[in-house]
Amino acid sequence: MAPERKVKNSQVQRRTSQGSNSYQTRLSAWKVREDLNDSKSISKHRKNSVVEDFEHGDNQVEDALQIAVRYFEKGPIKTAQRKDKTLERHFKTVENVAWKNGLAPEGIDILLNVALSGRFGSAVNTRIFKCMIPATLISEDSVVKAVSWLCVGKCSGSTKVLFYRWLVAMFDFIDHKEQINLLYGFFFASLQDDALCPYVCHLLYLLTKKENVKPFRVRKLLDLQAKMGMQPHLQALLSLYKFFVPTLISVSLPVRKKIYFKNSENLWKTALLAMRQRNQGLAPEPLKLMLGNVCPVKRKWNSHSVIPVLNSCNYSKESGKKGMNLSDFFSSNGSFPLEQLKSFPQLLQNIHCLELPSQMGAVLNNSLLLHYINCVRDESVLLRLYHWLSQTLQEECIWYKVNNYEHGKEFTNFLDIVIRAECFLQEGFYSCEAFLYKSLPLWDGLCCRSQFLQLLSWIPFSSFSEVKPLLFDHLSRLFFTSTIYFKCSVLQCLKELLQNWLLWLSMDIHLKSVTNSPLETTLGGSMNSVSELIHYVGWLSTTAMRLESNSTFLLHFILDFYEKVCDTYINYNLPLVVLFPPGVFYPALLSLDPSILNQLCYILDRYRKNLTAAKENELVPKTKSEFSFSSKTYQEFNHYLTAMVGCLWTSKPFQKGLYIDAKALEKAAVAEYKNSLNLVHHPAFMSYTVSFLLQEWPEERTVNMSSVRGKKWNWYLEYLFSEGFQGLKLFIQSSIHHSSVP
Amino acid sequence: MSVLRPLDKLPGLNTATILLVGTDDVLLQQLAGSMLKEDCASELKVHLAKSLPLPSDVNRPRIDLIVFVVNLHSQHSLRNVEESLHHVDSTFFLGKVSFLATGAGQESHCSVHRNTVVKLAHTYRSPLLFCDLEVEGFRTTMAQRLVRMLQICAGHVPGVSALNLLSLLRSTENPSLEDL
Repeated sequence: MAPERKVKNSQVQRRTSQGSNSYQTRLSAWKVREDLNDSKSISKHRKNSVVEDFEHGDNQVEDALQIAVRYFEKGPIKTAQRKDKTLERHFKTVENVAWKNGLAPEGIDILLNVALSGRFGSAVNTRIFKCMIPATLISEDSVVKAVSWLCVGKCSGSTKVLFYRWLVAMFDFIDHKEQINLLYGFFFASLQDDALCPYVCHLLYLLTKKENVKPFRVRKLLDLQAKMGMQPHLQALLSLYKFFVPTLISVSLPVRKKIYFKNSENLWKTALLAMRQRNQGLAPEPLKLMLGNVCPVKRKWNSHSVIPVLNSCNYSKESGKKGMNLSDFFSSNGSFPLEQLKSFPQLLQNIHCLELPSQMGAVLNNSLLLHYINCVRDESVLLRLYHWLSQTLQEECIWYKVNNYEHGKEFTNFLDIVIRAECFLQEGFYSCEAFLYKSLPLWDGLCCRSQFLQLLSWIPFSSFSEVKPLLFDHLSRLFFTSTIYFKCSVLQCLKELLQNWLLWLSMDIHLKSVTNSPLETTLGGSMNSVSELIHYVGWLSTTAMRLESNSTFLLHFILDFYEKVCDTYINYNLPLVVLFPPGVFYPALLSLDPSILNQLCYILDRYRKNLTAAKENELVPKTKSEFSFSSKTYQEFNHYLTAMVGCLWTSKPFQKGLYIDAKALEKAAVAEYKNSLNLVHHPAFMSYTVSFLLQEWPEERTVNMSSVRGKKWNWYLEYLFSEGFQGLKLFIQSSIHHSSVP
Repeated sequence: MSVLRPLDKLPGLNTATILLVGTDDVLLQQLAGSMLKEDCASELKVHLAKSLPLPSDVNRPRIDLIVFVVNLHSQHSLRNVEESLHHVDSTFFLGKVSFLATGAGQESHCSVHRNTVVKLAHTYRSPLLFCDLEVEGFRTTMAQRLVRMLQICAGHVPGVSALNLLSLLRSTENPSLEDL
């Protein structure tokens, strides 16, 4: 087996030496096992090594590293006293390099071999694992070899656990995953081991593709679950299986659960973070933001971003050869280098042979790849993206690293990019939702406000009652104690959330037969969830009006929300009409601001049109759906309508709808109250009445408002319409018969 | 020793008084400073105490809101708050007590689990706020929120009472994140 491997390895070296071709395989010398002294000559032609920027040509460090690695490779020397000292010395060398620059793929290959071959004790193995930090990538072959060591049975249980944890942490840095996926069966069999189970589950969670889901595996998993109880890791895998093949799994799994694996178990977190930043710094020039094609980005992405630079491994392999011809290109692997993908026609031509980058995060910055993701029906692609995203979001979040506050700007930029990708794909990412679950309770409501609220408005549609305790309860607590501006932005964000949900649902109804949505809810259930959201906002609005003493500014935002709500039946073709609560209606009706009243008239008119349309559809027996609105909705609407007509038009304000006992009015000593809320005398319109009278009859000495009736009333209406009260116009045209001019 | 009661004194004209209780003197002072900087129609008074009971021989105004500050990085601070709570009259818990947990951001430094504070607040039926007081930006927003709460608790916002606010802020039985 050995000679064959060697050949393969040299290939891997070339493949993994990625990015700019200056990434020479600086540690390739390790593979030349004959003579250690060779290292001098090798270090000479390592001139273009990028890493040298950091080491300033300090070859000694590298030589020491090679010696150290050789030492590990050869195994311990038996004389105990000397062994400890040299071992320590070599460890220091390796650890220093690993933490500073990371190890090259070859180094990792060797160390992995050493750690799993059982040549050293498990304490040493642990230490080796901890410093196995890649400089750039890890070759798939090393992982395959490592797995083969597991079969030999030379390493202890704890080393195995550590290996799996390492594999999960480094998953994104493995250059290819096809061969690893072929080992799926082997990994699956390791689930038997109780100690390994959680980590293997996590690995399988990352690795699973649709074709891996088989009935016998499902059975095995269910057996395991019966044996071990509801473990989060098993649930994760099961729900993934269910996601891929819903027909195979009939057990119900909690939908709400979205955090299955704790990131805190990642031992290599800081090292990976440092590595990512280092690699960004190394990149010759930051890739142009290609999303700019869609919506122009003014800000330039600075130095080291969180999002990895796009590079496909195959590309660098090919670019190494100067005289490459076309047939070479096609025969080699057949996939199109992502770096060369610059235009939409290119995407169309090569769509069959694109291979997504090994670090999925790079996709976020590239609108063409987002297009690609959008049209490939491969759930595993999205799952990979989600996994990367949830890890990054958690690592980057500012209030997890209070000491590093300058970091905030970078985090904001990152969130902006994520949000732009969500807007572009018109869908929310589950990992963002899970991130909100975790961070919203700690949020102060100010830092990254616009980003957080936008993330919130992109929450994927789900059952409201399940999301409420996780998100909206925390949000309402912030809402009630924060400033009026915060309240307005929250209402704005909830309006966008509602719009997104309505759009998804209206699409979903038509696509129901095509896609199998993971939620599997009925239309009735979905409508219920949306109406709960609307009622929640109604509750927020009513209380906010009280807290902010009926602020007009706030009322504008509330009515904006209801402008969306009142049109659900006609605009989105969804069987849902929810009216506003009295706590919104009456303050709006009695508002001092004419534009509020105008907006209220518009909304009431739209409600009327929606309800009429619904009623008409109900009367046609064929189209009669299972959803009919309860008579309560109509009653409520009629109640509001009578109150409004009574106030504004017929001058009978407190009889129907807005009822106030005559005795109470008497006690209040309001002599003339009947007219006081009609279109002429309403406080919001009074200034218009006066200017109307002054304009039409400038010679009159006194302004007599009560004179506006009969013909004058109609002229006055024309005047109001000409002043731009379109909502009022619509309302009067539809809801009031013109014979009844007062 | 004396038990603190909410209604044993008459309110001062247009004054709202808050009492911050916690072991981190520096943080409390900074928070008090940020609160006093806030623009507010009522006259604000901020009292600081390391622990309760308060000395009885001092003349102090009526206290409208008590905020117990728990530093999640120190067990001592939690125990201190737990003991101080015994010296508060039960009627205070009708909306005039609030808990503030600081330091939740740095999970690795926490010696008090977040759920412990959540349970504590739940036991006393009082709202719990999270804020890393060490960061100035966070502190300022928290000060702003506390001032708003204080104004309501002092009765300076028409139509809303402390009890009313409590019912709005009260947490339902939340599933803890650990179960997720």
